[in-house]
Amino acid sequence: MAAQVRMCAGCSKMCRHVCPTFFAWRSDSPTPHSRALLIHQEIIGAREIDKRGVEVLYQCLECSHCLTWCVPEIDIATIVESKRQDLVKTNRQPEGISRLRSVVEETHNPFGEPHSKRNHWIKTRKVKGNRVLYFTGCTAAYREKNSAKDTVSILEALGYSVEITPDEWCCGSPLFRTGEFEAGLKQASHNVEILNNIDADEILVTCPGCYRVLTTDYPENGFELNKPVRHISEFLNQSLSKLQSGNIDVAVTFHDPCHLGRHSNIYDAPRAVIEHVAGAPVVEMARNRENAMCCGNGAGLRTLFPEHAKKIGAERINQARKIGARYVVTSCPFCKEMLSAQSGTEVLVFDLPEFVMRIAMNPNVKTD
Amino acid sequence: MHETDKILNAIDAWPLSQAKIRAGEILPLADMIAFPGNVAEVSQILALANEMKIPVTPVGGGAGTCGGTVPVYGGIQLDLKRLNKIGEIDHESMLVKVQAGVVGIDLEEEVNRFGYTTGHTPTSLRASNVGGFIATRSGGSMSSLYGKIEDMTLGLEFVLPDGSIVTTKAVPRHSVGPDLLQLFIGSEGTLGVITEATLRLFILPEERHFRSVTFPDVHCGLEAIRKIFREGILPSVARLYDPEDAAYSFSMHFDFEEGHCMLLLAFDGDKKKVKIDETRSVELCIAEGGSDQGEGPAKRWWEHRYDMYYPTRLKTEGYTIVDTIDIVATYDRLEKVYYAMKEAMEAHGAFVLSHFSHMYQNGGSVYMIFFTSQPSAESAWETYKRIWDDGVAACLREGGTMSHQHGVGLTRSTYTEDELGSSFKVLKMIKEVLDPNSIMNPGKLGLGVRE
Repeated sequence: MAAQVRMCAGCSKMCRHVCPTFFAWRSDSPTPHSRALLIHQEIIGAREIDKRGVEVLYQCLECSHCLTWCVPEIDIATIVESKRQDLVKTNRQPEGISRLRSVVEETHNPFGEPHSKRNHWIKTRKVKGNRVLYFTGCTAAYREKNSAKDTVSILEALGYSVEITPDEWCCGSPLFRTGEFEAGLKQASHNVEILNNIDADEILVTCPGCYRVLTTDYPENGFELNKPVRHISEFLNQSLSKLQSGNIDVAVTFHDPCHLGRHSNIYDAPRAVIEHVAGAPVVEMARNRENAMCCGNGAGLRTLFPEHAKKIGAERINQARKIGARYVVTSCPFCKEMLSAQSGTEVLVFDLPEFVMRIAMNPNVKTD
Repeated sequence: MHETDKILNAIDAWPLSQAKIRAGEILPLADMIAFPGNVAEVSQILALANEMKIPVTPVGGGAGTCGGTVPVYGGIQLDLKRLNKIGEIDHESMLVKVQAGVVGIDLEEEVNRFGYTTGHTPTSLRASNVGGFIATRSGGSMSSLYGKIEDMTLGLEFVLPDGSIVTTKAVPRHSVGPDLLQLFIGSEGTLGVITEATLRLFILPEERHFRSVTFPDVHCGLEAIRKIFREGILPSVARLYDPEDAAYSFSMHFDFEEGHCMLLLAFDGDKKKVKIDETRSVELCIAEGGSDQGEGPAKRWWEHRYDMYYPTRLKTEGYTIVDTIDIVATYDRLEKVYYAMKEAMEAHGAFVLSHFSHMYQNGGSVYMIFFTSQPSAESAWETYKRIWDDGVAACLREGGTMSHQHGVGLTRSTYTEDELGSSFKVLKMIKEVLDPNSIMNPGKLGLGVRE
C-alpha cells in the first residue's frame, strides 16, 4: 500500500475528472490524489491525518471510477476502505459513522427502522417450483418496496417458490464500506447462520451492495454460504424467453451500479434483460459500463454529506437527459432511490424488477 | 481555511513538486484558498487583494509542469475550478464559449457529441483546464494542423488586478491596433485572471490515418519533416523520436533497426485528401532514407498518448525525477540546439531521450525528457536545477527559445530575461502598469520576484 499511495500522491491527477466527489465539491481535497496524499504523508511520518483529513477520507464513494482511468492501476477505493478500518480501530472515524454502526447494531438496518417491519409485509404464494431464497436487503425492504414486491411477483410468475426470512439482517455493506469491519462481521455471522439453515436452491439478491458482500466480503472473511448467490439481473437473463417482451418507443438507458459493474463485473446481463423486455436497444449514456458515473449514494457519503451526494445523483440524471432518455433503469434499489429523488417528472427511474413488471403490465409505451 | 485543505490543494504537476511530495516534504502553502463561482467574485477578490497588497496565485487544473501555480509567497490561491460552465455551441460560426475552470477532456467530450473537436490535445487533457491552456500558451499534440491555443482562442474575458473585468471581442481577426487578446495569452496569471474564453471548433475528421517511418538518424528525419511541410502538407501529428526515445517508446512493441529514429505521422480529413497527403509524405520520407513501418507505432502512440502523464515505478523510485525541457527553434538551428542541450544535460549524469513533437513550416519543438536519480533529496534537487540551468543555457546559446508549450512558471522564471533579451523590459513595463502592486502570481515569468 505504501508504494501505491506514494505513486498516486505524486501523480498529475489524470483520474480526477471522473471522480464524483471532485464533481460535487470542485476542490482538490475530495479527490483520489488527496486521499493517497493524506495516507502517504502519515505513512512516511510527514504529517498525521487530522480531523479534516479523516473527513476527506470519508468524502469517497469507493466507486472505483478512478481505477478505470489509472494506468498504474492503483486501487484507491480499497486503500481508502483499509484506512477507514484503521481509523475505526483507533476511534478516529466521524461521529456519523459511529452512529450508523449503532443504528445497524440496534435495528439491523441503516435507516433505524424497526426490525419487525423489515420484510414481514411481503406476501408470497405457494408455488410448486424450485425454491429461491430472496435476500431482500434493507433498501428494498424499507424504502423501495415496489422493487421488492415486483421481484417476488416476477419470480413467482417464472414458477419459483420464493422464500423470505424475517430474520435476515443488514448484509453489512454500509459497515464494511465505512471501515466498521468488526461490526460488519457480526452481520455476516448472523446472516450466514440464518441463510445456511434455510432449505433453498439458491439465494437471490437485487441490491448489488448485498451481492458484493455476500459473494466477496463474506467468503474472504471465512463466512461461507452453502448455496449459490445470484443477482436478479443474471437470474432474469437466464429466463429471457419467459419474460414478456414489449414494444416501447421511448429511449431507455441503463445506469450501471458500481457494486454490480466495476466491483462484480456484471455489465451485460441487465442490458440483455432491458433490451428483451423493452423490445429496443439500450441507449447508452456517454459514461457507461466501466466508465459509468456513480449515483452518489455509496460508502456513507449520503449519510455524512447529503447535499453533495444529491448533487452527484442529479448530474447522473442530467447525463441521461443529454441522450434523450425518458426511462433510466438501474439494477440496484439503492441507486434507484437516489436517482429517482433527483429525476423530476420528465425522466422516470426504475429498478430492474420494476421495469420488467411495468412492461409486463403495459407492453406498448409510446412517446408522450 | 483548514491547513489540510491548503496542503491538498497546493500540488501541481511540476515534477520537482511531485518528487518532493514523494520525499515527504510539504510544499509552499497559500494563506487561504478562494473558490469563486463567477467572474464578479473573481473581481471582488482581486480588488480586495490589490487594496491589501496580498499575493494572488491563480490555479486551474494544477496540471502545469513548471510550478506556475505554486504559491511561493503565500497569500490567496485563487482556484477557478468552479467556473466550469460550457456555453451553447455557435454552430454557424463554429465557436464555443467556455469558462476557465472547465477540464479539457470534459470540453472535448461535450463538443464531440455535436461532431466537433477543439483540436487541442495536450497530454494533460484529463487534468488541465481551459484557463490553464491559455494562461500557459499551450500547444497540443496535433498543433501542426489545428494550431496552438493562441490560434484557437478568439475572445477572452479577463479580470485585471484592480478588479476590472475586460473582454476582447471574439472575431477571426482585426486590425484595431495590437492584439490585446494575445497579451493575455501566456500571461501565466501575472497580469490578471482569465475567466472565460471563446474557442474555435473543427469538424471531427472523417478519417484519421497513421503512418510510421524509421530513419537512420535525426538529420534525415528532420529533413523529411521539413520537406513535408514545405510542400504545404499539414499532418495532424508529426513526431520524430530520437534513437534513445524510439528504443524506450517502441522497441518493446515493434521490430525496427537498432539506433534508428521513429517518425510518427497522422493525417486528418476526408479519405481522398488523407490518402494524397499520406502517399506524398511517405514518398518524401523514403527519399530521405526512411523505411516504412506502417501504421503500427503511430497508432499505438495515439492510443496511449496520455499514458506519459502517469507515474511509473521507473519514474518515481527513490529520488528519481523525470522532467522535460520543451524548446523550439527554426530548422536552421534545431539540430544544433538539440545536440547542444543533450550534451549539457547528460554532463550531469542525466539520461536524456527526446522527440521533436510539434512541427511547422519553419521549424519545430524538441521535447527533451531527462531522468535523474540521486542518493539523497539534497543532491537530487541540486542536480535537477543544474540540468535545467545548463540545458536552457545551451538552448539559448544555440538560438533556440526555451519553451514551446509548457510555459515558464518557476522552472524557467530566472531565465526569462535572457530569453526575451531587449523585449523583456516591455513585459516588465506592461506588468508595472497593469499590476502596480505586483500581487499577481509573483515570482513567475521572471516578474514580481520579492525579497
